[in-house]
Amino acid sequence: MDEKVLTSQFEDLLASRGVTRRGFLQLCGTIAAATGLAHVTVPDVAHALEESVIGAAEGNLFPVIWIEGASCTGCTEAFAQIDQPDPATVVLEMISCNYNETLSFAAGHSMEEAKAQTIKQCAGKYVLVYEGALLEGWDGWALRVAEETGVNAFLEAAESAFGVVALGSCAVNGGWMGSKKTPAGAIGCQALMAKHGIETPVTNIPGCPANPEWLVAVLVDVVMMGILPELNIDNKPSLIFEQAVHENCQRRGHFENGEFVYKFGSEEEKKGFCLYAMGCRGPQTKANCGIVRYNHRRSWCIEAGSPCIGCCEANPLDASHNWVDVNAPFHERHRDLRIGNWVVQPRTIGLAAVALTAIGVIIHGFGMKASGRLEDIRFEKQREWDAKHPDSAIGDYTADRIIIHADGTEEVVPADVFEKMQDAEYEQSMKKIGAAAASAVATGSATAQDAVETAEETARTSIDDAEAKTAEDVENAIEEEIDETKGGQE
Amino acid sequence: MAHFAHYREAHPLPFIIFHYINLGAFLTLVISGIFIHFPYLPNVMGMARGAHITAGIVLIINLIIRIFLALFVDTATSPGTRQKEKEIKAWLPQLENRHQFIPWIKYYLFIKKDHPLTAKFNPLQKFAYMFLPFSFIFMAITGFAMWGPTMNWIVCETFTNLVGGLMNVRIIHYFMMFVNVIFLIIHLYMVITEGGIPLIKLMFLQREHGGYTYDTTTHSISGKDEKEYPKLLS
Repeated sequence: MDEKVLTSQFEDLLASRGVTRRGFLQLCGTIAAATGLAHVTVPDVAHALEESVIGAAEGNLFPVIWIEGASCTGCTEAFAQIDQPDPATVVLEMISCNYNETLSFAAGHSMEEAKAQTIKQCAGKYVLVYEGALLEGWDGWALRVAEETGVNAFLEAAESAFGVVALGSCAVNGGWMGSKKTPAGAIGCQALMAKHGIETPVTNIPGCPANPEWLVAVLVDVVMMGILPELNIDNKPSLIFEQAVHENCQRRGHFENGEFVYKFGSEEEKKGFCLYAMGCRGPQTKANCGIVRYNHRRSWCIEAGSPCIGCCEANPLDASHNWVDVNAPFHERHRDLRIGNWVVQPRTIGLAAVALTAIGVIIHGFGMKASGRLEDIRFEKQREWDAKHPDSAIGDYTADRIIIHADGTEEVVPADVFEKMQDAEYEQSMKKIGAAAASAVATGSATAQDAVETAEETARTSIDDAEAKTAEDVENAIEEEIDETKGGQE
Repeated sequence: MAHFAHYREAHPLPFIIFHYINLGAFLTLVISGIFIHFPYLPNVMGMARGAHITAGIVLIINLIIRIFLALFVDTATSPGTRQKEKEIKAWLPQLENRHQFIPWIKYYLFIKKDHPLTAKFNPLQKFAYMFLPFSFIFMAITGFAMWGPTMNWIVCETFTNLVGGLMNVRIIHYFMMFVNVIFLIIHLYMVITEGGIPLIKLMFLQREHGGYTYDTTTHSISGKDEKEYPKLLS
C-alpha cells in the first residue's frame, strides 16, 4: 500500500519533468549496464533513485558541494548542455546541489554561507564534486573566492565530506595545467589531500570533459546506494576504466584488416577506416567511451572521425603524467621526448642509435682489416695477468703440446718450439697480406699513389709489434714489391 | 690461420635447435613489429599482430627451456676442446675469464695486438649474453602490458604504473627493440670477424673444423688439430 502511494508520488514527479516511467527505467538499465555495475540490478538502481526522489520531496536530499577549481567549466557544460528534459538531469536534480559556482542562481555572501552550513551540519554526509585543477603556484594566491584561497576552500570541504569525486582530468591530476612548463603548480585532488593527510575516499573520473554518465553512475553508487564503486589502483571506477578504448572501438575491424586513414580528407577517411595511423591513442587509453558514448549516446570522438587523444590518461599522484604531456603531439605515434630544449620523437633516437652502431662496426671492420686480423691473429702466449703475476698464474703454459696431423698421427712438441711455430705461421700470413696489398696496387689505376700509401700503412700497422728483425724483413719485402709496382705503372 | 678448432661439443644439437627457433622468432618479432608500428603495408595488421604475439610467446618459452638446458646439458665451456662440463658454467664467471676483461677491451681498441685467451665466451660476450635473457623478459612484460587480454595482469599493470603509463611502456618497448637490433648487428659482426665461416657452419650445420686446441686443466693452448674434417653432415 505504502509502496503504491510512493510510486505514484514518484511518477508524478517524473511526469512534472516530462519523463515517463518507461524512460526512467531505461535510464536505470543504462546506468546498470553501461557502467557494468555487476553487483547492482536494474530494480536496485530504480529503488535507489526513487528513494532519493522521495527524500527530495521530503527535504532529505543527499547534499552535494560542487566547487570549480582551475577549470574551463567544460565538465559542467557537459551536464548543462542538455536540450530536453533528460533522465540524467533528473538524477542530477535528485541531489541537493547546495553550492555550484556556475549553476547556482544565488551568489555572493548567501551562497558562501550555504556552503559553510553544509560543511558544518552535514559533516560526513555530503559529497564534494571538484572540477578543475588545484593551483599551488603563486604561494597559493590563485582561485580566491570570498577571501579564501582555492586550496584552502577545497581542503576544508574535502576534510569532512563522505567522499570526494574528482571530476575531469584536471581534478584528477592537474590536467594540462600540470605541465612542467606552467608556473601554476597544478595538482590533483588526491595528491593534495595526501599531502595534507586528509583520508576522505577519492573517486577519480578523468576525461576532458568527463562523460556525464560516469558521474551519474558514481553518484548512484556513492550517494544513493551508500557504497563506493570498485576502484582500481588509480582510484578510478574499475569497471569504467578497465579496458582500453581500442577494445570496444567500432573501427576495430578495420584495424585488424589493416585498413587505415593516412590523411584527413582522403578516400580512406570517407570509408571510416581505422585512425591508428593518425596517432589514435585508443590502444593505450583505458575508458569505456565506445560503449557509453557522449551526448545521450549519440556519438563519440572516434565515430565523429577524430583519433582518440587519450584525455582519460591521468595518474592521480603525478601531475607530470597529465594527458597532454603524455600524448602530445596527438597525430604522432609517440609522445615527444624533451632533452633540455631538444624536442625529439623516439623514432629519431632509435634510428640514430642503430645508424651509429652500424657506422661504428664498419669503422671497426676497417680497423680489423688494416691490422690484418681478418687474415690471421696471434694468440697471446700467456695471459697478461699471468705474465705479471707468475705466482698466481691461471694457466700452465709449459706443458708439451700435441699436434694432430691431417693423417691423424699425433706429434708431441715442447712448448717453446710450438710457440715459435705459432709465430712463424703468423708472420707467414702477414707477409701474404703485404703481397696482397701490393698486388692490389698493381691492378689500380688513377689512385695508384694513394693505394700505395694505404698498402704501406696497412703493412706497417700489422707488423707494429712484431719482432724487430722480422718486421724489417717484411717491410723490405713490401717496399720492394711496391717499387716494382710503381715501375710497372710508369 | 690461427683460430681455435670448432668442435660440435661447443654447440650440441639442442642448442642449435634453440638457436634456430630464437633466430626465427627474433626476426619475426622485429619485422612484424615494424609493420605494427608503421602500418603502411596494407591489410597485414591482423597477421602481423598474430605473428608478433605468437613469436613473442615462442621466444619466451624457448628462453625458459634454454635456461633449463643450461643446467642439464654438457658442453665444451672453452673453445677448441672436447672436454665437457655443465653449460651453466659458461654463463658464470670462469677461471679462463679472470683478469681478462681489460685485455679484451684493449684488444678491440687495437691497443693490444695479441688475441687474448678466452673461455667459450669472453667477458664482454658474457655481459651481452647475460643481458639478453633479461632483455627478452623485459620485452615480454612491456609487450603483454600493451596487449588487451593481458594488460590487466598484475605484473603488467604494476609495471605500467611504475613507468608512468602505457605511452611510456610503448616507448620503452620500442627503444628496447632498437637495443636488441643493435645486439644483433654486433653479434653478426663478431661472428663474422671472430669465427668466420667455420663458426657459422658449426652453428647452423654442425660441421667441425680444425685449429688450435685448448686444455681446460692447464688453462692454455694444448696443441693444434690439422685434420681435414668432412664437409658433409654426419
